Amino acid sequence: MKMKKILAVIMAVLMIAVCFAGCGEDKEKTDMEYVKEKGKLVVGITDFEPMDYEDKDGNWIGFDADMAKAFAKYLGVEVEFVEINWDNKIMELDGKNIDCVWNGMTLTDEVKAGMDCSKPYCNNAQVIVVPADKADQYKTAADCKELTFAVEAGSAGKDQAVANELKYTEVLDQATALSEVAAGTCDAAIIDSLMAGAMIGEGTGYANLTYTASLNSEEYGVGFRKGSDLVAEFNMFFDAEVANGNVQKVAETYGVQEALIK
Amino acid sequence: MSFIEQFPIVFDALNVGFIQTLKLFLITLVGALPLGLVISFGSMSKFKPLSAVVKTLVWVIRGTPLMLQLLVIYYLPGLVFHNNIWGSGEEGRFIASVTAFIINYACYFSEIYRGGIQAVPRGQQEAGQVLGLTKSQIFFKITLLQMVKNVLPPMSNEIITLVKDTSLARIIALQEIIWAGQAFMKGSQGIAGEIWPLFFTGLYYLVFSGVLTIVLGKLEKKLSYFRT
Repeated sequence: MKMKKILAVIMAVLMIAVCFAGCGEDKEKTDMEYVKEKGKLVVGITDFEPMDYEDKDGNWIGFDADMAKAFAKYLGVEVEFVEINWDNKIMELDGKNIDCVWNGMTLTDEVKAGMDCSKPYCNNAQVIVVPADKADQYKTAADCKELTFAVEAGSAGKDQAVANELKYTEVLDQATALSEVAAGTCDAAIIDSLMAGAMIGEGTGYANLTYTASLNSEEYGVGFRKGSDLVAEFNMFFDAEVANGNVQKVAETYGVQEALIK
Repeated sequence: MSFIEQFPIVFDALNVGFIQTLKLFLITLVGALPLGLVISFGSMSKFKPLSAVVKTLVWVIRGTPLMLQLLVIYYLPGLVFHNNIWGSGEEGRFIASVTAFIINYACYFSEIYRGGIQAVPRGQQEAGQVLGLTKSQIFFKITLLQMVKNVLPPMSNEIITLVKDTSLARIIALQEIIWAGQAFMKGSQGIAGEIWPLFFTGLYYLVFSGVLTIVLGKLEKKLSYFRT
């Protein structure tokens, strides 16, 4: 009786182990072969206007979303957009939950260390967001020494807060950073200029906020798994799209043409 | 966009999120209630190795945050075993969440059950033996109902906690109601920078846990006709 029980437990453990390990990946296959065989390119995104966001019918649109659709078509596969938790983007890639991160991603040291990235395709900057009525007092980073900033955890904005020796609190994402300022729980925030352009100022939910100083200039890229041959493929694809004017056209649709790297 | 225009859009989106929350809640309950009983038998087993294994499992699950368990269950197969068993879409995230929640809650339930079973006086079992009932007959005909009555108040507590714990699943990007509310802060369906949808989700939780409180209270009353 006892032996049977022990045996049963051992069998159960073995079965679980086999489940996980048995049908492991084929080491020979390159990343591109893997994606083509699967027949779809899974793009990891967050909701980020104007790069990836949903239209009224729930379709993903935006500069990055439209380019991702074009890239998938070029590869001859379907495209699938999956919303991820930004903190987990490298785990999502390595665990093959997604095939690329394509969401206005700033090429920070963390990103470059954890992924293989494409050539930069878009310029960006980190800007200081303050309530509009106080904008005159806070024109430069030096004016803001006594303010408390809200920054996205692990973001390029946080790196700028550290570099400029500003007081800061880390929050979940850039949108939360904005609402901290709107709610008065933080005095100011540091976010991407592209996002600031789309989300604050007149006619938006944050009409009483504005942005002043740019702290740096930085670049957006697309992230792939380490060692992926899709990086080279993407760079070729993007150059061709720039050459035939497609990139310019899509950028104009979403108002990001000023920021493009040609 | 004015509040009046925003409301129907937000309401629809929150409802979609709430259905995910509700599904996660119900499936977790359906899975964890019986699994908890199995685990409690395991931890009370007279077969030492089995009870040691089960007790270790309960210790690990109760001793680590559910948020961490969600991350481990969703990412570990792909990262360590190079075999992503969940897939990438919303469905895989849901199944992984359900798995983590069922295991987590079953462990908590098992300890409540154990308390409930051990609170039934030993004399009741002996009476059953005297009547010539088998072990399983004694459990199902004598112990079980008294246990159910014993465990109902602490179980109500856990069940209401579960309603709110479902929001943890957003760590692996399961789009439950808090996620749906936060989407309007970032910008979704033409609404950006609005905080009220997030706060509004609290109303859903309140109403739902209110309904549960009433149902569980009624159940408790119904069982109070017999005393242990």
